[in-house]
Amino acid sequence: MPAETCIMGLFKDDGKAAKVILDLPAAGFSFRRAHSPIPSHRILEALKLRKGRVGWFTLTGGIIGFFAGFALAIFTSVQWNLIVSGKPIVSLIPFFIVGFEFTILFSVFGNVIGLLVCSRLPDYGGLESYDPRCSGEHFGVLAACEAGREGELMDFFQKKGGEVKVFA
Amino acid sequence: MTDLTYAQIDETVLNTLERPRPRYWVFVALMLCGVLLGAGAWAYQIFVGIGVGGQDIPVAWGTYLINFVFWVGIAHSGTLISAILHLFRAGWRNPIARAAETMTVFAVCCAGLFPFIHLGRAWQVYFMLPLPNQRLLWPNFLSPLMFDVVAISTYLTVSSLFWYTGLVPDLAVVRDRSTGLRHKIFRVLSLGWSGAHHQWLNYSRGYLFFAALATPLVISVHSVVSWDFALGVVPGWHTTIFAPYFVAGAIHSGLAMVLTLMIPLRRIFRYEAIITLNVLENVAKTMILTGLIVGLAYGTEYFIAWYSHNAVEWESFRWRAMGEYAYGLYFMILCNVLIPSLFLLKAVRRSVPWLFAISLAVNFGMWWERFVIIVGGVAHDFAPHAWGLYAPSLVEYCIMVGSFSLFFFLFLLFCKHMPSVSMTEMKETAHHAG
Repeated sequence: MPAETCIMGLFKDDGKAAKVILDLPAAGFSFRRAHSPIPSHRILEALKLRKGRVGWFTLTGGIIGFFAGFALAIFTSVQWNLIVSGKPIVSLIPFFIVGFEFTILFSVFGNVIGLLVCSRLPDYGGLESYDPRCSGEHFGVLAACEAGREGELMDFFQKKGGEVKVFA
Repeated sequence: MTDLTYAQIDETVLNTLERPRPRYWVFVALMLCGVLLGAGAWAYQIFVGIGVGGQDIPVAWGTYLINFVFWVGIAHSGTLISAILHLFRAGWRNPIARAAETMTVFAVCCAGLFPFIHLGRAWQVYFMLPLPNQRLLWPNFLSPLMFDVVAISTYLTVSSLFWYTGLVPDLAVVRDRSTGLRHKIFRVLSLGWSGAHHQWLNYSRGYLFFAALATPLVISVHSVVSWDFALGVVPGWHTTIFAPYFVAGAIHSGLAMVLTLMIPLRRIFRYEAIITLNVLENVAKTMILTGLIVGLAYGTEYFIAWYSHNAVEWESFRWRAMGEYAYGLYFMILCNVLIPSLFLLKAVRRSVPWLFAISLAVNFGMWWERFVIIVGGVAHDFAPHAWGLYAPSLVEYCIMVGSFSLFFFLFLLFCKHMPSVSMTEMKETAHHAG
């Protein structure tokens, strides 16, 4: 496999960054990643990405939580089989509150796990090909080119109005 | 909404993290003294016994429960602002969302202490946890107090995770503009966030789900707190209006605390260009609504007590207005309904001194609302021979001072060490405005 060099183009406007992403393949360069200080719909549209999968984790957590909450309340009440205030041992209406709270709690746990898994966080290694200006006011497009074509890729970014950063 | 550039937003917020002046540490030390006073009083109570508090039959629930409900209430508007207003795409919430979320987390921490304090033998708290034990004793999930344990611990967990998730992109901003130890700490805290497209894609979805989950949670938590009272048969408590009444009151008091915190924060950190007068005015407008709902609930309670022809209920409410604690009722009507209605006047809504003064009045009034409900209910219930009065003891006052000090101590530490305004959300606001 030929050696590759990663070069980042930094733009002050997400529209320009999105245009660059669309033009990269035609110019013979391969797109690696886009970095931005805010979620940019233009960039995400240019990448034609489908919705994130976090929701599936959230849903799974919620279903587990709903049954876990009810199961806990039912299990504990049948362990101490005493009628209190004339209510049945297994009283579904008050147990719904436990079920509801557990649904929310486990959905959030699922959401956090989903977020970490799908976003591949923590990702301290990813900062090696990252420019700190991307958390400020720049939109960065990281692209790769074959060894020897670095100048072409830098020119490409500069013609599109961007600044350039080369990663070894 | 904002004319600032991304760089100006970063600069304004990051300037607040500069080395603080000595005056800041004086305030921190003062608050720490208050915390130590409260901790000392609690330690004294643990060694001597719960009897050092003023709670006694018939008023077994005094300031500990009042403060618990008060702090849970304060915690509510943080989630309202960060979650509910996020779902409604209300852009004006962006400058204050971070501080309100932080307020939520610290207020829930303060609230969560009070059941421990009120327990007396705090080390027996594990009885509330469903742990297998030799006596086969389990928590009774039919009890509203156990609903509370589940709801409050869920709320603390969810609001903390929501708060931290919202912080991650901003922690990366601080990481990228710091050096030395601060850089190392923020590098770890920001989890290696780089704002990559796949991170934003999932973050936006995840944050939306957080907001969608926190919204029913915030409604449920204060409803559950209200059922601590409403599921008892005590006159003045046993009413179906309590859940919406408590939720509206919680949001009302929380919004007042948002103003109480934001106005000094805005002045000290020179946030005028970010937390604009329009933002404060919108909080005031929301408080008109919550104040009217609270006022409607006060009136409905009296109407139902009269209309029901229930002699015990009516006597309870007559005594509230004419008995020994009548001043509490008048404080709450004045401070929670009448004074906030001044916000109907645009000149008042746009005057920072008025906003601050009214926010303090509402905080005061909401504390008294909890006093009237909690103490007023049990002090004057069914049997005249069992009526009795209550006055907090010095230990209770010290613990109360401790809880307020703890809240402001944590908030002071936060706003000088973490970004107190969400830079990312402000940039989004600027992006959409541009």
